[in-house]
Amino acid sequence: MISFLEVLERATTGPMMSAKEYDMKVFIPAVREVVKKYKIKFDSNNPCPCDDDLADRIYQAGLELYSQVGTYCTNTERIIHFTKEEIEEAVYECPKVVYFGEGPDRVQWHGRMPGDNTLPHCHVGSGTNTTEDVALKMVEAYGRITKAKTVSIPSLTTVGNLEGSLGSPMETLVGINMMRIARDGLRRAGRPGMAIIDLHPSCASGIATIASSNPEFGARKSDGWIVAPRAELKISYDSLNQVAYLSSWGANIGQEAGPIMGGYAGGPEGTAIVTLAYAFHGILVVRATYHLTYPIQMLNVCSTTPEMIYVISTSSQAFARNIGAPYYALGYASAGPATKQYFYEAAAYLLAIQSSGIGIEDVHPNKAVGTNQALPIDSEFTCSFGHGNVGITRKEANSIIKKLMEKYMPSIKNPPKGRSLYECYDLETMKPDDELCKLYDEVIKELKGHGINFK
Amino acid sequence: MEDNELFGKLKGAIVEGDSGKLTLLVQGSIDKTDALEMVEKGMMPGMAEVGNKFSEGQVYLPELLMAADAWEEAMKILKPKLMASGASIKKQGTVVIGTVQTDVHDIGKNIVANLLTSAGFDVHDVGSDTPATEFFNKAEEVGADIIAASAIMSTTVPYQKDIIDLLESKGLRDKYIVMVGGGVVSQEWADKIGADGYGELASDAVDVAKKLVAKKKGA
Repeated sequence: MISFLEVLERATTGPMMSAKEYDMKVFIPAVREVVKKYKIKFDSNNPCPCDDDLADRIYQAGLELYSQVGTYCTNTERIIHFTKEEIEEAVYECPKVVYFGEGPDRVQWHGRMPGDNTLPHCHVGSGTNTTEDVALKMVEAYGRITKAKTVSIPSLTTVGNLEGSLGSPMETLVGINMMRIARDGLRRAGRPGMAIIDLHPSCASGIATIASSNPEFGARKSDGWIVAPRAELKISYDSLNQVAYLSSWGANIGQEAGPIMGGYAGGPEGTAIVTLAYAFHGILVVRATYHLTYPIQMLNVCSTTPEMIYVISTSSQAFARNIGAPYYALGYASAGPATKQYFYEAAAYLLAIQSSGIGIEDVHPNKAVGTNQALPIDSEFTCSFGHGNVGITRKEANSIIKKLMEKYMPSIKNPPKGRSLYECYDLETMKPDDELCKLYDEVIKELKGHGINFK
Repeated sequence: MEDNELFGKLKGAIVEGDSGKLTLLVQGSIDKTDALEMVEKGMMPGMAEVGNKFSEGQVYLPELLMAADAWEEAMKILKPKLMASGASIKKQGTVVIGTVQTDVHDIGKNIVANLLTSAGFDVHDVGSDTPATEFFNKAEEVGADIIAASAIMSTTVPYQKDIIDLLESKGLRDKYIVMVGGGVVSQEWADKIGADGYGELASDAVDVAKKLVAKKKGA
């Protein structure tokens, strides 16, 4: 694989143009061309297609796309290009197994295949806004879920009554504070070595992320450190600085990408291809050993519509069949927490990604907007689902997803708001109230009736 | 070519995002047809159709951007003619839009800017990572009705409040309508900082802007 130094050199020597020119004259035409050339066509009747040829065509389309558009560096206004051969070599050489955590909490994560009979990697938690008073208990609650292999920690925005706005010293202090809270929470759960792999949700800037990585605060290189792009397929020096630091430290680096359907990638077909293309960007530019994706729809800002289920299932299958590295997806439900609709949407998304051969994570309620919206019961649901549906095929998943969509699609634009953590949990014991327990039992029974198993 | 036929073709070229075709049509008609009519009866309905199709999920950002590019190219030819005749395009209002300081995400902002343009607003985009003072200075310069500030992250939304704080410190809070939006922004946050308008989705922004401008002008 070409070196990171070579990547940096290309960032200063590649073709130069404005970001707008890149979007309009390079990216958009190239996406349109590969959609046409590889005959990718969204089929609303098959949101989770069982079609290996389609998956492989999406892989080839993504490979061709990335070899044409590369990654645009926003600071140097240049394109970092790679040849097809360089990309294929990087895919061949990238790690297919990654280790997270320490001691008895150390876990191994390997790639899977569609319909795989092995347990998917069950990742729990949410990097969404959480108030300081409950952050510790949330992490502890996540850590207590024994089926969970790795955890995401909440995003704090305050220390005391001061807000941590991006780029301010407060952001750095918030990041350090959350790192301490998170490690403490996992110790309280009896899993001190458990890896946190969404670092760092409270820090968007490189400087704050790097500052929070001091082991003094509980951070480890065996955690997972995420480096974000800018949409689509762009990267800043701030992010490349994170890569320079994290790769020198020997830390696990994750690439995250949230391609936007309806944005520069166009419709579901282009978005599926772009979602896959981010993997190449991740391996080569971000030096990632694991990958997180969360494509969302511009109009509904969620990921459970037929178009978005198609995007995530086809791109995941393309990744699983052709790259095989650790990969997981995060879905955004339209419905708020503690509602039946949330669980219908979550089940549909989890069916798509588990059957398509990648790792699973809690689907976030309420489009990941608002504070204290994530609930520990969401994580219980994720893990119980993951263990209960090992080996589920794409065909089976597709059939159940369509039934679930009949339940939630009519209200996808006006979903129930639900109840926040404060409204449906006893914050002393971190147990759900009777109303939520009853709703959960009912919904599990209902989902079992559709052929979904829970363990 | 009859005027009505020309207007239909201008509209079609905008909807197709065909800048070359639109430019040829405008160049071929500019000495025979009223420039203002070409804009208001041909191009503006085209922009409105693209905006509506986007809001309904029938077309995507590339189509919206291509229509906007075609519009801009055609306006380069039409503007001198409009200025010479003293004619002015009917505007819904003037908007200064940008992404707040430290936030470099611009897709949502670009979409809203294009939707507002397609709905007849005069839009001035101050870009991303824009300090509050730049929003204000541009608003003063162009006589804006609305300042629209996008923020996509929980750590950048506080900078939306800075814009309101700046207006208040200058005693000009009531001079401008302040609209906020972005991935993590909610009505609750908009209310908390005293913003005048909020749209959950990009497509909501046009309706909110129209209502607020109408209210301001009616007041």
